[in-house]
Amino acid sequence: MDWGKVRFFWAEVAQNFTRNLTMAVTAIGTVAIAIVLLGVFLFLRQSFDLAIATVAGQISVRAYLKDSTPQAQIDSMMQALRTDPRVASVRFIDKKHAMADLRRQMRGQMNLDVINVNPLPDTIEIIPRDPYDAPAIASGVELKPIVAKVNDGGNVTNELLKVDAVFSAAGLAIVAMLILATVLLIYNTIRLTVFARQREIHIMQLVGATRWTVRWPFVFEGILSGAIGAVFGLIVLSIAYRTLVPKIELNLPFLPLKLESVPAGHLAFELLLVGTVVGMLASLVSVGRYLRTT
Amino acid sequence: MIVFQNVSLVYPNGVHALTNVDLTVSRGEFIFLVGSTGQGKSTLLKCVYREVSPTTGDVSVDGRLLSGMPRGQIPMLRRKVGVVFQDFRLLHQKTVWENVAYALQVTGAGSRDVLRRVPRMLDLVGIAHKSKMFPHELSGGEQQRTAIARSLVNNPLILLCDEPTGNLDPETSGEIMALLARINAKGTTVVVATHNQAIVDRMRRRVVRLVNGRIAHDEEQGRYHVGLG
Repeated sequence: MDWGKVRFFWAEVAQNFTRNLTMAVTAIGTVAIAIVLLGVFLFLRQSFDLAIATVAGQISVRAYLKDSTPQAQIDSMMQALRTDPRVASVRFIDKKHAMADLRRQMRGQMNLDVINVNPLPDTIEIIPRDPYDAPAIASGVELKPIVAKVNDGGNVTNELLKVDAVFSAAGLAIVAMLILATVLLIYNTIRLTVFARQREIHIMQLVGATRWTVRWPFVFEGILSGAIGAVFGLIVLSIAYRTLVPKIELNLPFLPLKLESVPAGHLAFELLLVGTVVGMLASLVSVGRYLRTT
Repeated sequence: MIVFQNVSLVYPNGVHALTNVDLTVSRGEFIFLVGSTGQGKSTLLKCVYREVSPTTGDVSVDGRLLSGMPRGQIPMLRRKVGVVFQDFRLLHQKTVWENVAYALQVTGAGSRDVLRRVPRMLDLVGIAHKSKMFPHELSGGEQQRTAIARSLVNNPLILLCDEPTGNLDPETSGEIMALLARINAKGTTVVVATHNQAIVDRMRRRVVRLVNGRIAHDEEQGRYHVGLG
């Protein structure tokens, strides 16, 4: 490797940076802010997804059986359900156990001891492998002659899906706007650097430098702006993660956010990549447009 | 070495810079392009290093036709053609040595090559003793020598000079022209656009006069004004 060439290249990059220090700092700051907002959004998004997956995993189809159904028919129906590939598990809950469960759940809230008759039916509880199969399984079970009524938990699934869709659309719009703002700022920073170095660029072109020789220092400036900004953003996010997540989980335990389970390292890598690629693309477009006009 | 065949060039603003120019410059030749300001001298030079392209007609350099030349090949053309300007166009934050080395570094020369060729070139133009100085610490003549060294360091076949003595006193102008003559004597084709009558008349080289973008006169061992020979 020719260290003289390497030294020359990095000196050019450093010169670009220092020539427009204020703009470079502004670009880095904007990338950092964008990365913080993007990081918060992605973090919440992932924790929300995990929460949905957990809630969805608890969804079950309950088939309430007609009174006095012979045990043989119940066993036969359960056997058929166990062979269904969409079904993860099947459990029979007899009415006595169901009542005992209900008494336990309602203890302290309602006195069920006054009820002498057990109104609860025998129940078959079916846990689907994929929670979104619950309605289909329920409609199949409903047709069985021994089944009086079916609860498919579908309402919960549908509501969760609606919230997820709104959250995704709004979040994507915000992220798109943030990335656009970052791209425009880096684009302008590089453009100003290009204009500040017009003389050098003209001389480079006159003595026969290739277009890529002219471009590279500017592209690296963009990459560095993006990467440095992303690192600053990640530092802020990391501090926030360490200090805020334990407090949120302690003080707001009812929020269904799985903050601890989010793969933070993977997310940090993605954010660093986003910052770097945004910086690179913005500078490529900026210097490319200038060179097309010369 | 340089061939213009029926070249016309109209700028986007409608100005007719060149009209039906036919010109052949042989390898190793030294020619003056003369004419008052705005007659097309600079445009003609720009056609040679493909800063502009003719509206009609063909220009070829060292046997390569420039019309239709892909943009990616222009850098290779420019390594064959050195250019010197009236305002020197040096980089003010770089020393003399760095200014000359820059032309090599941006064309991908290795550091050994830079260390070997830059001092040689500074010696040739007689400015080696000021290699650590910055342009603002130099006289106009010294700045022009630096610019010439930079344009020659890639060993071009052709040296184009656009009013190289325009900012210099008569004595320094004479020194710069003597330097260009020495460079020409080593085999480099030299084209000088100028309206410095004294120099043209003293050197008695081929003189091409441009009037309104047309070649009005072309004379071996000519003088600045026609008919004074």
